[in-house]
Amino acid sequence: MKDLHAKREAVRHPVAEMYAREHAARKLDRREFLTRATALGLAVPAAYGLLGLAAPEASAQEPQMGGTLRMQMAIKAQRDPRTWDWSELANACRGWLEYLVDYQRDGSLQPVLLESWEASDDATTYTLHVRPGVTWNNGDAFTASDVAHNIERWCDASVEGNSMASRMGSLMEDDALRDGAVEVVDDLTVRLNLSSPDIALIVSMADYPAAIVHPSFTGDDPVANPIGTGPYLPVSYDPGIGAVVERNTDHTWWNEGNGAYLDRIEFIDLGTDPASWIAAAEAGEIDLNYQAQGDIIDIFDAIGYPRSEAVTAATIAVRFNQDNEPYDNKDVRLALQKAVNNAIVLELGYNDLGTVAENHHVCPIHPEYAELPPIESDASAAMARLEEAGHAETEFELISIDEPWQAETCDAVAAQMRDAGINISRTILPGATFWNDWTKYPFSATEWNMRPLGVQVLNLAYRTGGPWNETAFSNEEFDSLLDEANGIADADARSEVMARIETIMQEEGVLIQPYWRSIFRNAAENVHGAEMHPTFVVDYVKYWKS
Amino acid sequence: MLLFLLRRIGLMLVTALCLTFVVFALTNMPAKLETLAKTQAGSRMSDAEVASWLDRNGYGEPLVMRYGEWLGVWPGWVREDEDGTVTGRCVTLRDTPEAAGERCGLLQGDWGFSTRFRADVADVITARLGATGLLMMWVLIVMVPMALIVGVLAGMREGSRTDRTLSTFAIASTATPEYVSGVLFIALLASSTVGISPILAEWGWIDGRVLFQGNARSAMDNITLSNFTLPVLTIALYGMGYVARITRASMTEVMTQQYIRTARLKGVSFSKIVLRHALRNALIAPFTVIMLQIPWLLNGVVISEVLFSYPGFGWTLYEAAVNNDIELLLASSVVAVVVVLVTQLISDIGYVYLNPRIRIS
Amino acid sequence: MDPLNWFEILARMAQQFLPVWVALVVTYALSIRFKRRLGLYGKLFDSTVGMIGFGIVMFWLFTALFADIVITHDALSQVSGMRNEPPGAALRDPGDLYPYYLLGGDSLARDVFSRMVMGAREVLRIAPFAAMISFMIGITLGLPAGYFGGKLDTGLTFLANLVLAFPVILLFFLLVAPEIQETIIPSVMAGVLFLVPIVFVTILLNARFFTQPAKRNLYVGGVLLVGVWAYTGLVFDADPAGFWSMSPNLLNVFVAVVFVNAPTVFRIVRGITLDIKTRDYVAAAQTRGEGPWYIMLWEILPNARGPLIVDFCLRIGYTTILLGTLGFFGLGVSPESPDWGSTINAGRRLLTVYPHPALVPAIALMSLVLGLNLLADGLREESLKD
Repeated sequence: MKDLHAKREAVRHPVAEMYAREHAARKLDRREFLTRATALGLAVPAAYGLLGLAAPEASAQEPQMGGTLRMQMAIKAQRDPRTWDWSELANACRGWLEYLVDYQRDGSLQPVLLESWEASDDATTYTLHVRPGVTWNNGDAFTASDVAHNIERWCDASVEGNSMASRMGSLMEDDALRDGAVEVVDDLTVRLNLSSPDIALIVSMADYPAAIVHPSFTGDDPVANPIGTGPYLPVSYDPGIGAVVERNTDHTWWNEGNGAYLDRIEFIDLGTDPASWIAAAEAGEIDLNYQAQGDIIDIFDAIGYPRSEAVTAATIAVRFNQDNEPYDNKDVRLALQKAVNNAIVLELGYNDLGTVAENHHVCPIHPEYAELPPIESDASAAMARLEEAGHAETEFELISIDEPWQAETCDAVAAQMRDAGINISRTILPGATFWNDWTKYPFSATEWNMRPLGVQVLNLAYRTGGPWNETAFSNEEFDSLLDEANGIADADARSEVMARIETIMQEEGVLIQPYWRSIFRNAAENVHGAEMHPTFVVDYVKYWKS
Repeated sequence: MLLFLLRRIGLMLVTALCLTFVVFALTNMPAKLETLAKTQAGSRMSDAEVASWLDRNGYGEPLVMRYGEWLGVWPGWVREDEDGTVTGRCVTLRDTPEAAGERCGLLQGDWGFSTRFRADVADVITARLGATGLLMMWVLIVMVPMALIVGVLAGMREGSRTDRTLSTFAIASTATPEYVSGVLFIALLASSTVGISPILAEWGWIDGRVLFQGNARSAMDNITLSNFTLPVLTIALYGMGYVARITRASMTEVMTQQYIRTARLKGVSFSKIVLRHALRNALIAPFTVIMLQIPWLLNGVVISEVLFSYPGFGWTLYEAAVNNDIELLLASSVVAVVVVLVTQLISDIGYVYLNPRIRIS
Repeated sequence: MDPLNWFEILARMAQQFLPVWVALVVTYALSIRFKRRLGLYGKLFDSTVGMIGFGIVMFWLFTALFADIVITHDALSQVSGMRNEPPGAALRDPGDLYPYYLLGGDSLARDVFSRMVMGAREVLRIAPFAAMISFMIGITLGLPAGYFGGKLDTGLTFLANLVLAFPVILLFFLLVAPEIQETIIPSVMAGVLFLVPIVFVTILLNARFFTQPAKRNLYVGGVLLVGVWAYTGLVFDADPAGFWSMSPNLLNVFVAVVFVNAPTVFRIVRGITLDIKTRDYVAAAQTRGEGPWYIMLWEILPNARGPLIVDFCLRIGYTTILLGTLGFFGLGVSPESPDWGSTINAGRRLLTVYPHPALVPAIALMSLVLGLNLLADGLREESLKD
C-alpha cells in the first residue's frame, strides 16, 4: 500500500523521477537526492521508494518510556518565534510548538503538521495538505486557516528582527503578505502562489523561526502562554539558569506513540565556558551537551560521553567589506586570500574536524555544487601581489567574535598572513558587541549556519543589497546568474550556472572561507535519538533514555 | 552618636545617587543601547530596526528624564500605538494599562524590569542575594577562624620558625588571585583525568568520578560538601592571607606590651597569657579589617561564581554587565554601594565598642 | 626525535635563562659589595625575605628585558602538529627552529615557554607604569588634601570614596568595553590622568629651584618638553616621531587600572600627611617661611617614603592581579597578547586534560606577585628598623 502510494506520487512529479535516475547514475548522493526530492513534495517513504530502498527504521531498539533528561543548553530570554536568532530559543519550545515540516539528520524533509505538499513543475505554485486530526493543546482543531495565519505572520516585515520575512520574499509585497499569495482552498488545503520561482520555500518552513503558533498568540513570549500542538508543556523557564519541560498529560498528541518518550527534560544553562560543562559532566549533572567544539569533544569522549557528528554546510566566512579601504581593491583581497592555506587553517583553527572549503560558499553537500579546480596558496606570490597593489606596508586588522573556535580560526588565518610577511593585527570583540556592526567591519569573520540549498546563503549574503550582505559585494553578472539559478529545479542544469557563480566568487576574492565545519554533540551512552543535527535541532520529542 | 549615624546615612545616599547616575550614563550610551536592542530583538537587525525598537521601548527620551523615571521623581514614559494599545514603563511593571503616566521608580519601590532575565529586578536580586549570602556565610566560617589561628600562631613568637612558615603561607595566599587558585583547585581536585581524583577513584576511596565538583550549579537546590567546597575555598583563600597578616601584626604588638611582660614575669603560663590577656586586645584590628574585607570579597565572589557557574549576586552582576541589562546593573550597584558603606559603618562602630580609648565626638 | 624528560627540560630552560642568571649575579654581587652606601635599598640585603623577594622580582624584570634572547620560538607563530603537546615535545620538522617546545604547546600550537617569557614583558610593561601613575596622582592630590584640610579635603575624600565604593569588576565592565573605546571617554580620562604626573614633576622642581630661576627654567622646561611630547603621543596618539604611542585598547586598560588604584593611594598619602604635618620639622619649615608646596614635596613626602615604597611594591602586584582579572573576563589587552591573564583564561578551557598552557602562566603570575609581596615585607621590616 505504501509502495503504491509512493509510486503514484512519483509519477505525479517528473522532476523527482529525474532525480531518481540521476541517483541511479551515481550523479547524486543520497542526501542530495533526499533534500531535493522532498523539497518538491515527496513524502520520505516515497522518496526512499524511488531509490528502490526501504526507508530505514527509526531505530533498531524499541524506545523506552519515562525518565528525565538533563541537557546543557543556553537558555536565553524568549521572544516572538519569527524573530528568533538562536536555535536554542527554538529548541526549548519544540515540545509544544511544532513545525509544518522538519529537516531530518539525513537531509530529507519530514512532514509534520502538513501531511504532504506538491509543487508545480516551475516551482511557482505550492499546494499544502494540512494533516487531519491535529488539535491544539487548548482543544481547538488545527486547520488550513492556522497555516495561512502563520504565513501571514512570517511575511510581516514591519516587525523588527522578523527573519522569516527574508525567506518569504516570493509571497510578499510592500513588506507584507501579497494579496492572493495564500489561498485557503478548504479546511485542510492551502495554495501558495509565488511571484517568482522559489525552490527553497518549503525548506525555509523547516527553519527554526518557522514554529507554528496559535492564532491567539500576541507575539510576545511563547513560554508564558504555551498553546501549541506538541506533547510537552514548559514548567519553568529562567534565562541564564535553565528550563524544565514536562509531558502534557491533558492533551492528545496527533502522533501519540511515536515520540514523547521522556517524562521531563531539564535544560541547564552553564554559561559559554566549556570548562564548566565538563565540570558538570564529570559531576554527573548533565546527560548531554548542546554542542562541543575542538578539544572539548575529546575531553567529553574521555570522560564517557561519546560524540555524534553531523557533517554540515555550516562555515566561517573570513570576509572583506568592499566598501572599505583597502578592501575595495581586488588585488588586495586576492593577495590576502592567496596567503592562506585553507587546509592548515582547518587543522590549527578547527582541529581538522571538517572539510576544506574553496572560498565560494557553496558546499559539496549542496545539491547544486559544481566542482572547480582546487585553489592553491602561495605566500610569496601573495606578498608580491600585495606589493604591486602598493599595500606591502599596510597594517590589516582582522576582527572576530570571542567564541573560541572562531577566534582560533582567525588567529590561524592571521598567523599565516604574518608568515607571508603581511602586517596584520587581531581584534576580538565580545559576543554582545560584535553583532552591532557585523555587516560593516572592514575585515572580519562571521559564522554562517547551514542552509540545505546552495543558493539560499548566496541570496542572503552576496546578492547586491541582500539583507545580510556583509561583503558589500555587488556584481551584476553574479546577481543575474543567481536569479537564473533560483528558478531551475533541475540540479544538473542549476549546477552549470553554479559553476559560473562559484568562479565569479573566487575571481573576485569575496571572502576567505577556510572550511566546512562538522559539528558535534557528546551524550552519555544511555541517551538515544539525540545525535547531533546539522542545523542544531534538539527535537527532544524523539529522544529517549535507557 | 545619632548625629554621626544620620550623617553617615546621608553620605551613603549621596554616594549611591552619584554612582547610579554614572552607571546609568555609561549603560545608556548609544552604542550600548544598540547592543541591548540587538540582544533583545535579534542580533542581525538593521540600523533602522534598532532605532524603531529603541523608540518603541522608551529608550528615545533624554538621559536625565529617564534617570528621573528610574528614580521615581518623573512619570514613566507612555506610548500609544495606532491601534490604541498603550505601552509604557509603568504598564509593564504594574501589569495594568491604568498605571500609564504614573511614577514608578525606586522611590515607589519599583526596581524595574530585567531585560536579561525577563523578571522584576527586585525578585532577581533577592533570589540571587540569598544564594550569595549562603556562599559568603560559608566563606566567613572557613576564612575567619583559619586566618585568626594562622595570625595568632605566627604573631605569638615573632621571628620563630612557625612565624616564618605561616607568614610566607599568608603572603602566598594573598599572591594567588581567585582565577589562579580556582583553576588550580579544579585541575587538582575536580578533574576525572588529571589531579588526585582518578587515583582516589582507582583506590575506591570515592564513589563518584571526582572528589569535588568543579561546578556549583546543583548547590542552588542542595548544598553538599562536594559541590560547595571549591567555590568557598577559592574565595576564602585569597581573603585569608590579608586578615592573617593583620592579626599577626596586631598580635606581635600586643605581645610586647607591658602587661604581657608583667604577666610573664609573674610566671603565668604562656598559653594562659595568650588566651586570657593577649587575644582580646589583638582581635580589635582584625575585626575592622574583616568587616572591610567583605566588600573586597565581592570581586572574588564574581570570579568564583562565574568560574563555578553558581547563580548568585556576583554571577548576576556579570550577566547584567555582559548583556547591558541596565536596570539590573543599577540595582546591583545600589546593593554593592550599600554593602560597602554599611560594612564601613559597622567596622567604625565596632572599633569604638571594642576599643574603649576612642570615643566619637 | 624523542621528547625530553623533566631533567633535560629544566636544564635547557636554565640554559635559555643564562643572560638572566648573569645579570642577577652581577646585581647581587654589586649590591652586597656596596650595600652600606645604598640606603634603604642596601639594607634590603640584610633581610632574607627581602632578598628572596628582590631576587624573584629581578628575575622577571631581567627576563622581560632579555626576552628576545631567552625565547626559543616566536610567541605568536604556530607550528603544525604541536597543538597541546606536553612539555618537552619535539618539533615534527624543526628546520632552523629550536627543536623542542620546552613547556609544550598551547591549543593553537604556540610555544608555551616563549609565551610565558614574552608575557613577562607584557605584564611588566603595564603594571609598574600604571602603579607609578597611580602614585603620582595619589600623591599630587593626597598631599594638599591632608595638608590644607577643609573643603578641599572633604571634596577629594568624597570623590575617592565614591570610586572605592564601586565594585572593581563593575567598573571594568563599564570602562573597558569596545563600545567605550569608540567614544572619547578613555581619551578624556587619559587626558586628565596623564596630566597629573607632568604637573607633579613641574611643581616638584619649581618648589625646589624657584630661588634659582636659571636652573629652574632649564629643569622645568626639559620636563615640560618631554612631558608634553609623551602626552600628545599617549593621549591623542599624535606623536610626530611615533616614539610614544598606545593602542586604544591598551590605553583603555591602562586608564581603568589607574582609575581604580589612585584613590587608594590618595587615602594612604592623605593619612600619612595628616600624621606628619604635626611634626616639629614641618613647623620649623613653616616658620622659615617655606611655601606650602615646598613643605609638602620636600619635607613631608621624603619622610613618608618608607610606607609608600612598601605600598608601591604591593600595588604593582595588585595591578598584575587586576590585569589578569581583566584577561579572565575577556576584557584584557590585545587578543593574541601573551600576557599572563589572557593566557590563563585561554588555557582554562582545556585545563582538565592539558593543564600546562594554563599552569605555566598561573605559576609565573603567582611567583611575581609573591616576589613583590616578599620584597615589600622585607622593605617594611628594614624601614621600621630606622
